[in-house]
Amino acid sequence: MAEPAYTVASDSETIGEEKSSSAFPEIAIGIDFGTSQSSVAVWNGSQVELLRNARNQKLMRSFVTFKDEIPSGGVSYQLSHEYEMLSGAAIFNMKRLIGRVDTDPVVHSSKNLPFLVQTLDIGVRPFVAALVNNVWRSTTPEEVLAIYLVELRALAEIHLKRPVRNVVLTIPVSFSRFQLTRIERACAMAGLHVLRLMPEPTAVALLYAQQQQQNMHENMGSGSEKIALIFNMGAGYCDVAITATAGGVSQIKALSGSTIGGEDILQNMMCHLLPNMDNLFSSHGINEIKSMGLLRVATQDAIHKLSLQTSVQVDVDLGNGSKINKIVDRVEFEEVNKNVFEKCETLVNQCLQDAKVDVEDVNDVILVGGCSNIPRIRNLVLGICKTETSYNRMNPLVAAVCGAALEGAVASGISDPFGSLDLLTIQATPLNIGIQADGNAFVPIINRNTTMPSRKESIFTTAHDNQSEALIVVYEGDNQSLEKNHLLGYFKIMGIPPAPKGVPQIRVCMDIDASNVLRVSAGEVVPTMPFMEVRMPTVDDGHGWCAQALIGQYGSTLDLISVPKMMQQ
Amino acid sequence: MIASLTLPTTGTLRFSPDNRLSLAGTTRSISKMSFATVNPCKSAIHASTATAPAVETRKSRSASLYEVLKVNRNASPVEIKTAYRSLAKVYHPDTSSSSHSDSSDGRDFIEIHKAYTTLSDPAAKALYDLSLSAGSRGRPFGYAAVVSRSGFYPTRRWETDQCW
Repeated sequence: MAEPAYTVASDSETIGEEKSSSAFPEIAIGIDFGTSQSSVAVWNGSQVELLRNARNQKLMRSFVTFKDEIPSGGVSYQLSHEYEMLSGAAIFNMKRLIGRVDTDPVVHSSKNLPFLVQTLDIGVRPFVAALVNNVWRSTTPEEVLAIYLVELRALAEIHLKRPVRNVVLTIPVSFSRFQLTRIERACAMAGLHVLRLMPEPTAVALLYAQQQQQNMHENMGSGSEKIALIFNMGAGYCDVAITATAGGVSQIKALSGSTIGGEDILQNMMCHLLPNMDNLFSSHGINEIKSMGLLRVATQDAIHKLSLQTSVQVDVDLGNGSKINKIVDRVEFEEVNKNVFEKCETLVNQCLQDAKVDVEDVNDVILVGGCSNIPRIRNLVLGICKTETSYNRMNPLVAAVCGAALEGAVASGISDPFGSLDLLTIQATPLNIGIQADGNAFVPIINRNTTMPSRKESIFTTAHDNQSEALIVVYEGDNQSLEKNHLLGYFKIMGIPPAPKGVPQIRVCMDIDASNVLRVSAGEVVPTMPFMEVRMPTVDDGHGWCAQALIGQYGSTLDLISVPKMMQQ
Repeated sequence: MIASLTLPTTGTLRFSPDNRLSLAGTTRSISKMSFATVNPCKSAIHASTATAPAVETRKSRSASLYEVLKVNRNASPVEIKTAYRSLAKVYHPDTSSSSHSDSSDGRDFIEIHKAYTTLSDPAAKALYDLSLSAGSRGRPFGYAAVVSRSGFYPTRRWETDQCW
C-alpha cells in the first residue's frame, strides 16, 4: 500500500516483488531449519500441508555435500549411507555454527566434527571447510545454509507451482540479533524474503492455539484461558516457552533457551566411549575422519536405542587398531549427560519463574523436538510440572514447522472462512536489550519477556562536567556483566550543551516492531540537536574487538549515568 | 506535555511515506488532515511530520485506559482479558485486518497492551483508579505518553541491513 519511500539498490529486487504481490497476497511458506533435520510446510487454503521431497520425506537431513564440486543438499541428495555424511565432504550442524566467533565454546565443541572447523581464538569467524578431492575447500555457514534453502525453495515451488519468495523461519530462542541477521543474509542469498523469524516454541504455541480453537468448536468446551509449557529440544538447541492461550490468541509470557541439545549428548557419549577422542581426531587426516564417523554413527545408534531399552551393547572397530566393545546402560548414560539434563531443568524453572506461573496452573505440557523422546528428559520436564502425561495432539518432529506455516498464512494477511486462521501469537523478546552506562554496567532498557511490538525509553545523564558527546553502546543478553552479552552496535550523540555532570537529560529509546526490527534512538530530552536513530545490529562479527577498541580509544570520557525512574520528570 | 509528545519526531530525520506524500501534493495532505480529525490518536503522529499545527491541539486529550480497552470502569478481570484479546486480534500488526487497513500501525497495539498491563494487575489498577478519581488531568498513572511515528511498520525503510 504505502510504497517504500526510499529504495536502495540492494533492496530493489525485494521491494519490486512485494509490490506486485500486494494485490494478491502470496502465502509465506514455513521452514523449520533444524540442526539435524529440516522441513517445509505451507497453508494450502484449508490446512497446513507438509511438503515432501522426491524421496517422499517430510523430514530432510540438514547438510550440504561438496563431493563433486557442485554442492548438493539433503533435500535432493540421497546419502548412500550415513558414513557418507561423515566423510568430511559434507557440512552439517550449520545452525550451531552460524553467527558465532571462534572464541565461542559451541564452535570449539564443533571441532571434532568430520569437516574442518578451525579456530584462531581471537574473536573472528571460524574457518569452515569441506574436504573436496583431498583439498579443504573453505565455505561459510551462511553459504551452506543458502545452498540448502535454495533446494527447499525449489521443492516448494514445484509443489505450489508458483514462485516462492516469502518465508517464515523458525529459530532458537537463544539466537542473538546478530545471528538473526546471518539467517536473513542466507535467506537473501537464496532469494528468499524473511517475513518472520519465529522462535521455535512460539511456532508450537500458535499450532496449540489453533488446536484449542478447533477443540472449542467441536466440543463446545469452555473458552477459558489455558496455560501451556512448551519444551522443545532438538539436536542443537533447547527452548522453553510459556504461553497463555484463549480464543486463538496465544500470548507468550516467557521464553528461555540455550545452545544445548542432542549434539551435546552425542559428544558426551563419544567422549565417554573414547576418552582421548579430542587428541585422536584433532589432526583431521583421512583415517581419523573415517574413525570419527564410525564412532559417531555407533554412538548415535546407541543413544537412540537407550530411549527404548535400558542397556545397549556398543561394538565398533575404529579401523586404526582400536576397538570399542562396551555395554552402556541408561544410568550410565544419564550420569554422563548430567550437565545437559541440569541445564534443561534450569531453563524450565527459569521460564516458569519469569512467566510468574505456578506449576499447578499449567494445563498442558507440550514436549517437542527429537530429544523429547529421551525418557530422562520427559520425566524431568513432567516432574517439574507435576504431571504424568504430556500433550499428545502434536507430532513432536513437525509441530514447529506447522506453526511456522500458520504464521506464514496469518502474517501474509490470509483469512479463512472457517476461522481456522483466526489466530495470533503475541511474541515476547527473549533477551534483555540495554546500553552500557554507570561505568561498565549493563543497563537494560527493554527487559526480556517484554511483549512485542514494544517501545521503551530511559533517561540518562552525563558522567563528566561539560561533556559534549556521549557514546551509546547497545548490548543484548541475559548476563549482568557487559562483556558476556552480545554487542549490537554503538553510536555517538554530539552537541550536548556545556553543563555540570548529571544535569543534561539524555533520552535513549528502543523500539521493536512486529517483525522484530530493533531501532535505537537517542538525544536530549529538550533537543538542541537532531535525535540519532540507528537500526541494530550494526556490528559485524569480531564484535569483541569493537568493544575493546572503544574502551582503548575513549576510556570513560563519553560515559553515561542512568537516572532512576523515580527521578525522571 | 504536548511538547514532550512530539519533540522526538520533529527532531529526527525521517523519510516516512506520509512525509513524502504530503510533499508530493496538497490534495494528499488535505485528505490526511481530515483523516486526522476522525482519529485523534493518529493525529499525534501526523501533526509532527506533515500537517498543520492546528491539529496538534486535538490529541492532548488522552483516553483513559478503560477507553483504550473499550470496557467499563467496573469491568471484571475476565472481561478485561477478553477485551484485550479481541482488540489484539484487530490491532496487532500481524493480523490480517490490520495489515490491510491504514488505521493501525502497531502503535495502537502497544497502547492496548500497556492499558492491559495496568488494568490486569490488581495493585496497579487500584492506583490507576485512584489517579482517575483524583481528577488529575495530567498524565494518568501507568500510561506512558505514546511517542510514535507514522509509516513505521512496513518492515523495510530506507536503511539497508547494515550488518551485511
